[in-house]
Amino acid sequence: MRFSTSLITLLCAMLLNHLVIAEHTNNWAVLVSTSRFWFNYRHMANVLSMYRTVKRLGIPDSQIILMLSDDVACNSRNLFPGTVFNNKDHAIDLYGENVEVDYRGYEVTVENFIRLLTDRWSEDQPKSKRLLTDENSNIFIYMTGHGGDDFLKFQDAEEIASEDIADAFEQMHEKKRYNEIFFMIDTCQANTMYSKFYSPNILAIGSSRLDESSYSHHSDVEIGVAVIDRFTYYTLEFLEKIEKNSTLTLKDLFDSYTLENVHSHVGVREDLFDRDPAETLITDFFGNVQNIIPDDMSRKDFAGKYNYDGGNEKLSRNVLNLAIEKATEEREVSEKAISPTSLRIVNSVNQNARKISNDTQQKNGSYSIVILGLSTLLGILYFIMRNDNQALKTI
Amino acid sequence: MLEKNLRKLIAICFLLTYVLLGIPLWYKLTTIYRATLPIDYIESLHNDQYQDVHLVIPVYIKPDVYKFPDIHDAVQIQINHLLNSLKQKVPWSLQILPYDDTIDEKNHIINLELADFVGYNAAFDSKETTVYYDDKSVASNDLPFFIAQTLIEHTFHIEASELNEIEQPTPQTSISVAYTPNVHLSISLLSGDGLPIGWDIETTLKDYFSPFRELLSPVVNFTVDTSIIYYNDLNLHSLNSTSNITSTQLSHAMDLSELSSMNYFSESVALNLAIVFPSLERNPNGFEFINSPKNHSNWQSFVVPQWGVITINKYPLRKNSYLTESYLNPIMYQFAQDLFELLGLTNSLDDELLSPIITIDSFKRITILKNLEKATETLWSLVKLTKSFQQMAIPKEVLENVRKALELRLNIVEMLNDPKLGDDLVWSQALIMSNQLVEYCETAFFHGEMLKQNFFPQEHKVAVYLPLLGPLTIVTLMGVIKCFKENKLLAKLQEIDEDVSSTTIYNDDEKQDEKLIQGSESDEL
Repeated sequence: MRFSTSLITLLCAMLLNHLVIAEHTNNWAVLVSTSRFWFNYRHMANVLSMYRTVKRLGIPDSQIILMLSDDVACNSRNLFPGTVFNNKDHAIDLYGENVEVDYRGYEVTVENFIRLLTDRWSEDQPKSKRLLTDENSNIFIYMTGHGGDDFLKFQDAEEIASEDIADAFEQMHEKKRYNEIFFMIDTCQANTMYSKFYSPNILAIGSSRLDESSYSHHSDVEIGVAVIDRFTYYTLEFLEKIEKNSTLTLKDLFDSYTLENVHSHVGVREDLFDRDPAETLITDFFGNVQNIIPDDMSRKDFAGKYNYDGGNEKLSRNVLNLAIEKATEEREVSEKAISPTSLRIVNSVNQNARKISNDTQQKNGSYSIVILGLSTLLGILYFIMRNDNQALKTI
Repeated sequence: MLEKNLRKLIAICFLLTYVLLGIPLWYKLTTIYRATLPIDYIESLHNDQYQDVHLVIPVYIKPDVYKFPDIHDAVQIQINHLLNSLKQKVPWSLQILPYDDTIDEKNHIINLELADFVGYNAAFDSKETTVYYDDKSVASNDLPFFIAQTLIEHTFHIEASELNEIEQPTPQTSISVAYTPNVHLSISLLSGDGLPIGWDIETTLKDYFSPFRELLSPVVNFTVDTSIIYYNDLNLHSLNSTSNITSTQLSHAMDLSELSSMNYFSESVALNLAIVFPSLERNPNGFEFINSPKNHSNWQSFVVPQWGVITINKYPLRKNSYLTESYLNPIMYQFAQDLFELLGLTNSLDDELLSPIITIDSFKRITILKNLEKATETLWSLVKLTKSFQQMAIPKEVLENVRKALELRLNIVEMLNDPKLGDDLVWSQALIMSNQLVEYCETAFFHGEMLKQNFFPQEHKVAVYLPLLGPLTIVTLMGVIKCFKENKLLAKLQEIDEDVSSTTIYNDDEKQDEKLIQGSESDEL
C-alpha cells in the first residue's frame, strides 16, 4: 500500500516536473512615440527608455517594433549630438547602444500603426517591420504623444481614435494573433484611449483621466527641454528594480503610482483581462523568459541505447538511423543498376528485348503484305461493282 | 414663349442631370467596394466543420499460411463496431481490403503470421503491421477482433486520439511550433571567448542530416544555416558559482536574444540548435552545473519550447580546437529526436517513437484535417470582420482567393473521402493542397487593402462633401425653383393685363408705367 502511494506521488512529481507554468512562449513589444520636433524630446526619451528596459529583460530586437520620429538625437539644437537622455544627470545614453528603429520619421503614421497591428501589408514588407505574433505571444504596447478625448495625435498631421485601436485589437483577436496584450499609454486624457476596447485578454493602463493633462517630470537646463514624462518616469523607476527572475507583479507596478508622483489619476482597465494583475508577473510582458526543459534523453544511457558509434547501427531505433538506412537503401538501389552483375542482367534483358523487337518486325512485315493484298482485292471488287451499277443505270 | 420654355427646359435638364447622373455617379464613386462573399456557405462550414468529410484509410490484409477469403469483411465489421463505440469528432473509418500483388508498401498493410502466440508488431521502417495469431484464435474466431483492436489502438492510435472525442489530459504546454511546410534551422556553435575554433559541420550535416531531411521532406522542407558565434555563452557564466541548478534558474540566466532573430530568412518558423562552450578565461574549470552521468560526453541538452535545443558543454575549448564528426554525431542524434517533438510529430519527450513511418503518415492526415479547420476558421473570421466593419473594403482579389480556397477544399475532401486512395503520395499531395488552401485563406484575410483605418464618423463625411455638394445643390435647385416662379408670375401678369384692358376705359399713364416697370423687373429676375 505504502509502495503504491509513493509510486503515485512519484508519478505526480514527475508530471509536475514537466508542467510549464506560463501560457505564452514568446514576447513582443510595440513602442510608439507619435510626436515630432525638438520640443517633444521627452516623448522620444520615454519610448527609448522603454526600449532599453524590454531589451534588458530579454526581448530580442527582432521582437521589438520601435516607432519614433527619431529627430532629436541628431537635431542641430541638441547640445550632446547623437545622444538622448531621460534624466538631467545624463547617466544613461538611451541612444548610445544598438538602437534599431523600425519606423522612423514620416513612417510613423496611423495607417502604418494599424497595418502593423493587423498585419495587412503588401507582399514586399520586410519581416523585421512586421508584428509576427501568434496565439502564444504576449504583447506589450506602449504609446506616448499628445492626445485628447478619445484620440492621439500622430505627428501633427493626423490622429488615431480609440475606436481604431479597439477595432485593430479585435482583428488581432479574431486571427489569434496574441495571447495577452498589456497596453500602456502616456498622454493627456490617456484613459479615454482604452475605454473603447472590447476584445478579451487586454490589460490597459493610462496616465490620466478625461479632461486631465499628463505632465512632464523635469527639464534639463543644458538640453533646454523637458526630458521625460512623469508617468513614464515612475514606471521606469519601478522597472529598474526588475530582473529576469523577479517575482513582482503588475499589481505592484499599479500600486507604485501615486497622485503626488504622477500629478494625474492613473487608470487601469482590467475587466477584459482574465488573470488577476496580482498574479501576473512583470516579466510576463516586459521580459522574455523562455521555459527550459532538460532533455531526458541525454540523461538516459544514451550511448548504449542509440548506438551512434557505428557497429550495431541498423538495429538501434533512432529516427536518424532510420533516415540513414532509407537513404543508403536508395543509394544501393541506384548503385545496383550500374554494378557489373546488374549490367550483365541489363544486357541480357536488352538482347531479349532486341530479339522480341526483331520478331515483331518480321511479323509486322507479313502483316503488311496481307493487308496490302486484302486492300487490292477490295479495290478490284469495288471497281467491278461500280461498273455493274453503271451498266444497270444505262439499262 | 419659346424662350420661356427653353429656360424652363434647360433648368429641368440641369436638375435631371444632377439627380439622375450626378447623384448616382457620386454614390458610385464614393461607396467602398465590397465584394459579396459566400457568407452562408462559410457559416455552415463553420457550424459543422466536417459536414462533408469522411476520412477513409484503406488497409490491406495479407495472410500467410491460411487463406481467409472473408477475413477483410469480418475485420471491417469489427472495426466499424469499434469506431462506432467512440464518439467521433471528425468522421473517419478504415476500409479493409484484401491484399493483392499490385499493392505496394506505400499502403497500410497488415501481415498475418501464424505463430504459437497472439501479438502484434509495428514495423519501424515501413507502414506494415504484423499480427501474430495461433490456431486457437482462428478456431474461436477471435482473429478479426484482434486485428481490429491492433489497428485502432496501435497502428492508428494517433488518429484514434486526435479524431475522436476521448478525454485526454489537457496539453500542458506547447513545445511544438505551429505547423508550416517550410522551417528554417539555425545551427550555431557558441564560444564564450574569441579563440579561433572550427567544426566539421558540413560533413556531419551531409552524412546525418541530409537523410533526415529527406525522410521528413513530404511533411516539412528544411532550410539550414550554420554559424560560429564568438564571445557569447548565453550569459551562462553568471551561473557558474552554483553546482546544482533548476531549469527555472537556468531560464532566468539564459539570454537567447542574440540567437532569436528571424529576420534574415523568409520562412516564418525557425528552430535553433545552439552548441555552447564556456569561456576559457572566465570558466577555466568549465560549467559546474553540468553534471553528466558516466558513459556520457560532457554535455547536457535542453529543449526550449518553440525555439529549439541548447546543448551546453561542460569544458571550454582550447585555441584552434576543431570539433570532429564523432563529437557532433550524438548531438545530431539527439537533435533529430527532439525535432520530432518540436515539429509536433510526437507529443511528449518521453514517448518512444515506435514506428516513425506510420507516425509521419498519421501526422500528414491530422495536419490535413487541421489545415481544413484552420482555413475554415480564417474564412469565418474574415466573414465576421466584414460583417462588423461595414466601412471596410472587400477587394475582388479577396473574393477570388475565397473562391479558390473553397474549391480546393472540396478537392481535398474528395481525396480524403475516396476509400481507394491511401498511399503515401496521396496523403502528401493532399497535404500540399491543404497548405495551399491555408495560404489562400491567409492571403484573403491579410489583404493589404482591407484596412479598417479611420473610425470615420458621419460628421467627417458631411465636412468633406458639404463644400462641394452644397453650392451645386443650391444653384441647381434654386435655379429651377426660380424658373417656375417666374413663369407663374408672368402668367399672373398676363391675367392682370387682360383684366385691366377689359375694365378700364381710360388709359392711366402712371399705372401703365408702373406695370411696365414691374414687367421689366420680372423679366430681369
